[in-house]
Amino acid sequence: MSNGVGSETIGRAVHDFETTVRAYSADLYRYAWWLCRDRHLAEDMVQETFARAWKSWAELRDIGVARAWLVTILRNEMARSFARNRPAIDIATIAEAELPALPSFEGEVEMAQMLGLLPATYREPLLLQVLGGLSCAEIAGMLGTTEGAVMTRLTRARQALRQQLAAPAQRRSAK
Amino acid sequence: MNCLEFRRHKLADPRRLPDEAHAHVAGCAACAAFAREVDEKEAELERALAVPVPEGLAERAMLRSRTPPRAWRRWALAAGVVAALMAAAWPLVPRNEPQLYARLAIEHVVMEPESFTTVRNADAAAFRAVVHELGATLKEMPGTIRYIRLCPVEDGYGWHIVFETPEGLATLLLVPGKHLAAPQTASTAAWNALARPVRGGYYAVVASSAEAASAFDKMIRDCIVWA
Repeated sequence: MSNGVGSETIGRAVHDFETTVRAYSADLYRYAWWLCRDRHLAEDMVQETFARAWKSWAELRDIGVARAWLVTILRNEMARSFARNRPAIDIATIAEAELPALPSFEGEVEMAQMLGLLPATYREPLLLQVLGGLSCAEIAGMLGTTEGAVMTRLTRARQALRQQLAAPAQRRSAK
Repeated sequence: MNCLEFRRHKLADPRRLPDEAHAHVAGCAACAAFAREVDEKEAELERALAVPVPEGLAERAMLRSRTPPRAWRRWALAAGVVAALMAAAWPLVPRNEPQLYARLAIEHVVMEPESFTTVRNADAAAFRAVVHELGATLKEMPGTIRYIRLCPVEDGYGWHIVFETPEGLATLLLVPGKHLAAPQTASTAAWNALARPVRGGYYAVVASSAEAASAFDKMIRDCIVWA
C-alpha cells in the first residue's frame, strides 16, 4: 500500500516536473542566452538547471514559485560556468561586435542591439522581469539589493532603451 | 499618486501597477498616452528577447534530468564510441591532404546545421561590410542573404554566409589569412565544395550538388572583385 502511495507521489512529481520543464524551458533558455550569447552554453545551462531542480524537487513546496526557483538555480549555474571558463571566447559576441556598421536593422533587431549595449547591471533585472516574470521584490532578493534599487535600475534601463531607440528613428525621419 | 510617481512605476514594472497607479492613469490623459507608449515598447522588447529556442530543448532537459547517473555514464560512453566510429568513418579526418580546405568547408557546414534553418544578420549591407573588410569590393549580391556568422575555422576565424540562390541554399565561407596554393574541390554523398585562393586568404563554396557549387562559385567570382 505504501508502495502504491509512493508511486503515486512519484508519478505526480514527474508530472509536475515535466509540466514545469515544458512551461519554463524556453524562457530560461532565452534568459541564459541573453547572459552568455552562446546557444550551446545556454542549452547546457538550462539542462543542468533542470537536472539540479529534479534532484531537489521534493524541496519545492509550492509549484507557483517554481519559475523564480529555477531562475535562481540557473543564475548559480551561469556563475559557476563563468568562473570555470572565464577566458572562453564568445563567438556570437565577436560576430556582432565585428560586423561593422550594421545598417538598416530595424524594429526588434534594433531593440536587440540596444539590449546588448545595456550595462549588465541594467540588463539583468530587465531579463529577470520580462523573461523570468519576477517582481521587483523577487529580483531584489535574487540580486541581494533593495526593491527601490531594482526599480531604479529598471526605470533607467527602459529610459535608456527609449532614448537609444528614439535616436535612429529621428535620423530616419530626418532623411 | 502624481504623474512623476506613476511614470516611475510604469517604467519600473509596466505589468504590475499598484491600485493607485491605475486610479491615476484613469484620470490623466498625458499619463495614459505615456502608458500606451511604454506598453508598445514593452511588446517590442518582448519580441526582441524571444530568440529562437532549439527544437527539442524541453525533451532533452527532461531526459538529462531523469536519467540515472550510472545509465547516463553508460550512454556517454556509448556516445563516445559512436562519435569515435563516426570520426573514423568521416572522410575529413586527415589534416594533410591536398583537398583539405574544401573538405573542411563541408565539415563546417555539416557541423552548423542551424545555418540553414536560422535567419541571422540577413542584411545585404552587412555582407557588403564583410567583403569590404576583407579588402574586396562587392559589385552585386550573389543571391538573397540569410545568415552571416563569424565562426572558428581551422586556422582562426572565418565568415560563414548562407545565400538563397536559384539552385537552392548555398554556403560561402570567407577565410582571411590562410593562403591556398591552388583551388581545391571535395565532395561527400550530400555536399560539394570548392575552395579558391584569393588575395588575403581563401573562400569556399558549399552546395548540395557539384553543378550548384560550380554555379555559385561563378556567381561569387562575378559579384566580388578581389583587389
